[in-house]
Amino acid sequence: MQPQLKSKVRCLDREVGEVSRVIMDPLSHEVSHLVVSMNGAGERQVPMGAVQAVTDDLVQLRTSSSEVMGMQPFKREDYVTIHEVEIPGLEKHIHVTPGEVLVPFPELERNVKRRAFFANLTYVTGLFIGLPLVYPVMKFLMKPMYAPLDNGWLKVGNIGKIKTEDVGTQFQYKRKIKEVYMPEAEIEKNVWLVKATPAVLEKVYQGKDREFLDSSGNAIWTNKKDLPFLAFSGKCPHLGCAYKWRQHKVLGQVFLCPCHLSIYDASGKVLDGPAPRPLDMLPIQVTAGGEVQIIDMEFKAGTKSQTRIV
Amino acid sequence: MSDIPPAGAQPTVAEKIFTFVDERVGLKLLAAKMLNESVPGGSRWAYVFGSILLFIFIMQAVTGALLMFYYVPTADHAYASTQYILHDVDYGWFLLSYHFWGSTAMVVCVFAHMSQVFLWGAYKKPRELIWLVGLALFALVMGFGFTGYLLPWDQRAYWATTVGVEIMDKIPIMGDFLARFLKGGPTPGQMTLSRFFVIHVMVLPAALIALAGLHLFLFRCAGPAGPFRGAPAELKAKTDYFFPRQIWKDVVGMAVVFACISAMAFWEPVVLLEEATPDPGDYHPEPEWYFLFIFQHLRLKMFSGEFGQFLGSMGLPGLLGVMLMLLPFFDRNPERNIFKRPFALIGWVMLTASIILFTVSAIINREFLD
Ligand code: HEM
Ligand code: FES
Repeated sequence: MQPQLKSKVRCLDREVGEVSRVIMDPLSHEVSHLVVSMNGAGERQVPMGAVQAVTDDLVQLRTSSSEVMGMQPFKREDYVTIHEVEIPGLEKHIHVTPGEVLVPFPELERNVKRRAFFANLTYVTGLFIGLPLVYPVMKFLMKPMYAPLDNGWLKVGNIGKIKTEDVGTQFQYKRKIKEVYMPEAEIEKNVWLVKATPAVLEKVYQGKDREFLDSSGNAIWTNKKDLPFLAFSGKCPHLGCAYKWRQHKVLGQVFLCPCHLSIYDASGKVLDGPAPRPLDMLPIQVTAGGEVQIIDMEFKAGTKSQTRIV
Repeated sequence: MSDIPPAGAQPTVAEKIFTFVDERVGLKLLAAKMLNESVPGGSRWAYVFGSILLFIFIMQAVTGALLMFYYVPTADHAYASTQYILHDVDYGWFLLSYHFWGSTAMVVCVFAHMSQVFLWGAYKKPRELIWLVGLALFALVMGFGFTGYLLPWDQRAYWATTVGVEIMDKIPIMGDFLARFLKGGPTPGQMTLSRFFVIHVMVLPAALIALAGLHLFLFRCAGPAGPFRGAPAELKAKTDYFFPRQIWKDVVGMAVVFACISAMAFWEPVVLLEEATPDPGDYHPEPEWYFLFIFQHLRLKMFSGEFGQFLGSMGLPGLLGVMLMLLPFFDRNPERNIFKRPFALIGWVMLTASIILFTVSAIINREFLD
């Protein structure tokens, strides 16, 4: 039992006063001292070790009254109240209040039966407001996510620009885009063209023409295996950076991506680095005058198989 | 108390106002509660990082709000408006550069703070929840960095986002949806900018304020962990309150961080590259330096191919995250002394060393890319 405020304090010989305050230890969260008001002779700080027994309204000390008189006088300015300091969990250990402290429960509340029902009603109302919003909000946010694919041909330049066989040449082109409410804009993109020798062509086509299908499986275009020009999407199939045609110390002339150092040969095959698949070939057309046209496609990076996203 | 005027003296206007408010909201008690938090074992420089993080965040909010007076989050104006801030608006270069270096400071201090609470064993019972909320805060800080990087809409911004979102795409099952959701389309564009902007200036700050509040509330519930060694009697003798010694240290820390950020903003102001296009020209894409180590380790042969890439970009970082989340629940040993927790110490040293190693090697690697 913890001592009560206002309890009488008795020494071995006589009663000396009453408990006026209690001092807690901030680390152990236990009562460390009682402050005893000495019937008008000041206050003394009595360690809990001096307490022999505690009953409802009495604290029995194991010392004499003269010993208590000789104990340290209580100095208020050395302390702060527990309301003025932040010591987590301290309140839980205090049982020294003069019993329970109560306020009356309001008349109207006394006979309310369905407390749980009303609590649940609050949650249900919340759900009724929140749930119907989920779908519209998701649709609202998802509006621009899936754009239709565009299979139009874009002019990228003249084949005359390519001087050497089996060497990557970059062609810049502009693509018109119209995003949601924005005015139509042009973005710059690039594609790599290779004038391929039969050996490289064989590596790419392996004797078969390459067909491009749309999402419902209909043919869009077929790259004929004997057309000596290859077009590669400018996007690295590893994680979507842009690669370059570069001289490599060991591998010679290659496509090299500066991001994570994937290396591809002129046929788009992965020679080194983390790329999961060869460069993405695009549909290509060359007019009699040497004008090159491509269908601008982009594929998801990082996967073994191609998934078209543009 | 000393701030109560002697009887008979006329209170000044300021005192009257103070008393007026105090009577209604209990200011004195509130202030006392805030400041009289006991710090077991006494104040320390090691504890300054949490407060510094709050300070940096407030400064980011202030500078960020100022930048928004000129910045326009559209694909056709973002770049021009950022250049305008940098070159035409008075002190625009300073505010933008402060905001930029502030984000770097935030990452550095988050790492320092995490390391401190980890090494001090402050995540252990009863502080598990503080640690968990802390991890969520860490994710938010990274989110700020990632979304903010796109806003200037230059080549650096565009490519970091392109690669970053492709990485997100590798999350199993939901990846494609998440990546498109974040981009607002199949490729980065206006919708991406709008989304990143809203996330950067609305969603993340709101979340950070809420979670930092929760973090502090939980911290107050548990109380500071204090030093990891020392007998109770010794700790008690050294205990002091948050005010004044710890606040003094915190304030010095904030001033030092402020000076560092300002100095960096002054000597290394932000310079934009060309405006973003899907054709990078001669630019070699690279993320912000604190993501460099992830970027660099993806160059390793072991993270090649579809699975390797998933492992490197999502699997391993995700695993590390889960391990950190579970840490306080598996590490039930109450010992907090780091010198008696060899696995914790070795783990921290190895992780830190490998982050530094990969970051440095990414920087060295730059030279070999012509
Ligand atoms: C924006 C990010 C954050 C802010 C503003 C923040 C703020 C704070 C503050 C002000 C404290 C009080 C004492 C101190 O500074 O040591 C604290 C304590 C703590 N924080 Fe954070 N924090 C953040 C992130 C984190 C992270 C990322 C973690 C770990 C994953 C974390 C884990 C903890 C823990 C365990 C404590 C208790 C330390 C102790 O009792 O000694 N916090 N934090
Ligand atoms: S994006 Fe090209 S190697 Fe990673």
